[in-house]
Amino acid sequence: MNFKRYFIRVLHRLQKGPGYTYKELLVWYCDNTNTHGPKRIIREGPKKKVIWFFLTLLFASLVFWQWGILIDTYLSYSVSSSLSIGFKTMKFPAVTVCNASPYKYSKARHLLKELDELTEAALERILQSKHGDAISAPPLNSSETVSQRLDLKLWNQIPLVLIDESDPDHPVIIDLFETDQNLPSTVGSSFGILLPAVKVCSLLDLTCMYWNFTSAAQAVTEWYILQSTSILSKVPLQERIRMGYQPEDMILACLYGAEPCSYRNFTQIYHPDHGNCYIFNWGMDKEALISSNPGAEFGLKLILDISQQDYIPYLTYTAGARLMLHEQKSFPFLKDQGIYAMSGTETSIGVLVDELERMGYPYSDCTMNGSDVPVKNLYNKYNTSYSIQACLRSCFQAQMFENCGCGHYLFPLPEGVNYCNNEDDPDWAYCYSSLRSSIRHRQFCIDSCKETCNDTQYKMTISMADWPSEASEDWIFHILSYERDLSTNVTLDRNGIIKLNIYFQEYNYRTISESAATTIVWLLSSLGGQFGFWMGGSVLCLIEFGEIIIDFLWITIINIISWCKGLKQKRARAQYPDTPPTVSELVEAHTNLGFQHEDTNITPCDEVPPPGALPPEPGTPPPKYDSLRVDPRAGIDSDSDAEAS
Amino acid sequence: MAPGKTIKAKIKKTLPVTGPQAPTVSELMHWYCMNTNTHGCRRIVVSKGRLRRFIWILLTLSAVGLILWQCAELVMFYYTASVSVTVQFQKLPFPAVTICNINPYKYSAMKEHLSELDKETKNALETLYGFSEGKSKVRRDADDWNATGSKFLEIIPLVKFEDLSKKTVTEIPSGNKRKIETSVFHQGSSMVNTGDPQDVVGFQLCDPNNSSDCAVYTFSSGVNAIQEWYKLHYMNIMAQIPLETKVNMGYSAEDLLLTCFFDGISCDTRNFTPFHHPLYGNCYTFNSGENGKVLTTSTGGSEYGLHVVLYIEEADYNPFLVTSTGAKIIVHDQHEYPFIEDIGTEIETAMATSIGMHFTRSHKLSKPYSDCTETGTDIPVANLYNKSYSLQICLHSCFQRAMVDTCGCAQYAQPLPPGAEYCNYKKYPNWMYCYYKLHEKFVKEQLGCQQICKEACSFKEWTLTTSLAQWPSSVSEDWLLRVLSWDKGQKINKMLNKTDLANLVVFYKDLNERFISENPANNIVILLSNFGGQLGLWMSCSVVCVIEIIEVFFIDSFFIVMRRRWQKAKKWWHDRKAAPAQVNAPANEGHDNPVCIDEDLPTFNTALHLPLPQENHVPRTPPPNYSTLQLDAAFTDPLPDTLEGSCH
Repeated sequence: MNFKRYFIRVLHRLQKGPGYTYKELLVWYCDNTNTHGPKRIIREGPKKKVIWFFLTLLFASLVFWQWGILIDTYLSYSVSSSLSIGFKTMKFPAVTVCNASPYKYSKARHLLKELDELTEAALERILQSKHGDAISAPPLNSSETVSQRLDLKLWNQIPLVLIDESDPDHPVIIDLFETDQNLPSTVGSSFGILLPAVKVCSLLDLTCMYWNFTSAAQAVTEWYILQSTSILSKVPLQERIRMGYQPEDMILACLYGAEPCSYRNFTQIYHPDHGNCYIFNWGMDKEALISSNPGAEFGLKLILDISQQDYIPYLTYTAGARLMLHEQKSFPFLKDQGIYAMSGTETSIGVLVDELERMGYPYSDCTMNGSDVPVKNLYNKYNTSYSIQACLRSCFQAQMFENCGCGHYLFPLPEGVNYCNNEDDPDWAYCYSSLRSSIRHRQFCIDSCKETCNDTQYKMTISMADWPSEASEDWIFHILSYERDLSTNVTLDRNGIIKLNIYFQEYNYRTISESAATTIVWLLSSLGGQFGFWMGGSVLCLIEFGEIIIDFLWITIINIISWCKGLKQKRARAQYPDTPPTVSELVEAHTNLGFQHEDTNITPCDEVPPPGALPPEPGTPPPKYDSLRVDPRAGIDSDSDAEAS
Repeated sequence: MAPGKTIKAKIKKTLPVTGPQAPTVSELMHWYCMNTNTHGCRRIVVSKGRLRRFIWILLTLSAVGLILWQCAELVMFYYTASVSVTVQFQKLPFPAVTICNINPYKYSAMKEHLSELDKETKNALETLYGFSEGKSKVRRDADDWNATGSKFLEIIPLVKFEDLSKKTVTEIPSGNKRKIETSVFHQGSSMVNTGDPQDVVGFQLCDPNNSSDCAVYTFSSGVNAIQEWYKLHYMNIMAQIPLETKVNMGYSAEDLLLTCFFDGISCDTRNFTPFHHPLYGNCYTFNSGENGKVLTTSTGGSEYGLHVVLYIEEADYNPFLVTSTGAKIIVHDQHEYPFIEDIGTEIETAMATSIGMHFTRSHKLSKPYSDCTETGTDIPVANLYNKSYSLQICLHSCFQRAMVDTCGCAQYAQPLPPGAEYCNYKKYPNWMYCYYKLHEKFVKEQLGCQQICKEACSFKEWTLTTSLAQWPSSVSEDWLLRVLSWDKGQKINKMLNKTDLANLVVFYKDLNERFISENPANNIVILLSNFGGQLGLWMSCSVVCVIEIIEVFFIDSFFIVMRRRWQKAKKWWHDRKAAPAQVNAPANEGHDNPVCIDEDLPTFNTALHLPLPQENHVPRTPPPNYSTLQLDAAFTDPLPDTLEGSCH
């Protein structure tokens, strides 16, 4: 029903039309529009008219051009940053403390015994080769005994070699334990500078890779790490935790503000790099602690013992505590963000929380919680939040599993994957080394991981002093020893003891927060400003313009229809040359249109064609009417001119 | 039909009887107020009552004032910058790391150049403080020296003040007491009270050409005095030694670097670029980008950074020049000059120093937003360093230039300008005095260097977090030292001591690059739309209105006033020359009709309102043309009905 009514209305409209011609419509529009230019066009004299016409055109194009720029600016999603600095009550950061050595040597010795013996022997060999002697000679003397004593199986998986590169085309490679006797021992006498290398071989295709070092110390360390990783990865987690430093041994005293705390306030976490780590104020099971005062008195004070004597000699050669400040519920990546605290000193750390709060998509390419990152976060099992480091490590582990079939010991395991060890995966060291040095794989991880939108850094001002002082050393050691071991003897020494003060600085936060520089409100007001500035227009003017266009269309439709009608009439008239209806129609149209002078335009279109067709009959009235109407038309034309001038 | 008709009628009604060519200014104003697009103006005309009209005038004027004020504000704050901070996680370029031994040259190699100076220093110490090093050898040397005379102390005598207020001094070598009349400069005395005046030690610098012109520089502590005094002589001596010899006397890369490890791959001395620093001797830059290749880091963390074990030969240190042990490092951009002496970080021996870095890049907008320089080419100071511009470089270059201009020779610590040579007292006996004077001027900003030099617009910064740990740990000390000795031992046969070694780790904490940049807060588009907003808010005005205002208030009013003037003048002329000029006047008027001056065609409308001329020569002119005639008709009876009537 509605449709029908609608069509009827349309038909009606078609018959009647909006009632004026193009020119009239334009004049009407110009005169009545709220934009400022057009009115001038019709109101001014001929010269000014032209000027105003061009001015209006110019302004209109300026408006459109600048709108384009504005919309482009808006779509670039730029942000503006604001910075605030000051002190406010904030959550005290989570503090992770670890010992630099992951395990107590006394407890891990049984596992590493063979490896250590092997290392010692290897070192012996290296040191003997110092003067460029043929190293083949000493091994020959003792090789039998050495071979008997040592487990060369471990050695043969990843041997340490020396390379003489004095002849770059034919480098001489010397296995320290010379198990294969293919090497002619005669060349041994002419060694130049020997460079150590770790030889990692793939058993599948028997290709070997030499991991070159310029320093024997580095070579031995890296080699030892590879070997010990393989050994320790077989040990179950519980056992590894047991081998590490226990909280009561490590955290001797704790004071947060004025409140005493103890090792029980620390959450234990097993960190593959550093063994047992303890996190204060992690916020996992309790609300995070709040600090509302700056200064050392209101911070965390810790006394730690790292018992340096119990370090694994070949694995850790830097002694100290490793600590890190991080956000609550985030995993501590000590190798990246951690700092050392030296034994025998008091380390004071003033903290400034440097926060960066960013807007997510589309303003910048960051992730709010990591859910939109294609890498599965393996650190989820610690219940920690997403971080870029976690993503990169998860990505590496995933690649490790993909390429080597096992997981690396330093990173968490995906489901159903085991850690690599020499027995089950003899290729792993080769695989790992090639993966580690592959730029392509790293780039892949960098590309797939996204940084978090809220980036919090803890800026630390670190200062150190000797602690305990010589005068107070005695009693402090006595008390601490008593408290820990209930012994009257001093069981601590300078080499193991560390004091830590962690506190907020006077200004404890610096927050850079982003806000959208261009909002939709900004866009609209700028668009309005531009339109208003050049033409004094508003949205209503645009609607007016739209209306005019619609009217134009109507007029066009009507004209086409009447033209068609005219064609029909022409044909009809061809049959009945002097049909009175035409004239009456004309007269009627004329009288109707005559009320406004501009109609003259529509008349030529509408009615002149019929007269144009008529000339063969000179006596007919229509031309007369036409000529009659010529006069007023001229008058009207000049009139409109005069109006404007 | 109907809308068209009414509209037409409306147009007719509102058609300006008194158009822009209105005869009087007040009519023009009236016309303007009625027809302008700005709001407010119309209100003034339409309002009934004086008070109301006055209020509207006031409101309109205040709106205009507000617009002007706000637009002025907008223009004034056009050149403001907004700061944006972007963080990008990406592969980062590893910075250049320059490592120097604190001791510039091996003392053993320097012996031949410095033996005399050292002897004298020891003697001076003995005289000043009455101690000898307890070695008979030194005493014997001192005796020798007493015989030969004091070369160095003659040039710059060390003095000890008996009483500062009386200015009586003891000259060190001779022990003579005398009173000095010269000005006394305390190094830093403006800030620190020098304390007990009897302990004051200093040295005297005289202008050799005019021996009465002397300056005494005093120090609160003899340690500083002796070091400064020694340094002056040291620079003198070093300035005479050619660069090659100096390089040979310094530490070679093999000497300094024991092991090197970067990004999981071993590196060696070939990765280090030597660089000779005048005060620190041979320094080595890792990743200097010399061959156009800059190393990048694609993984953060200490494992993937630069691990270096440095060999610091403590036994071979110069006792007077350097009083601390260790190395100095600086993390800088490849294009930057490492100002080791200014901003280096010291590395302790027997320690592992781990330095975590954060990378921040900043960019400021140059003129007109702030006074910084993009490339330094617009600074009138020639860059003496072969590196990209920085404020430090500019200040040093500026000082060096002033030094060459004033003293005739170049200061040792800075590079040589072309054509100059380093100062030494053989050639330039008064350089030290000159240098001290100049340096004081420089510090007090009297040389104008601080005014000339501008900061660079963009800079890269690595924020360092330094922490120390014991290294090697007590249990691993044994094997590590043995193996390191073997590493070293391929060249030197010696067992190393841990106090000769320093472990250094430089790494990226994370690969987030912070980029702080200034962007123009405004651009012309935004400025214009703000203008538009202001104009629209207060008066609903646009540029068209502004043009209107210009047209009406300036052009039209001007012409109206001019026309009036012209008429008055003409009238006056007419009156004066009434009798004789009667024939000529009309002709003149015909051509110089004021209406013709108008940029528009003369309309009859205006012509009608020009009062006098028309009347006078009715006989002369026919009506201008037909159309105007008709116009006239149309407007004298302003109803459209007539037209309609004519249509029929």
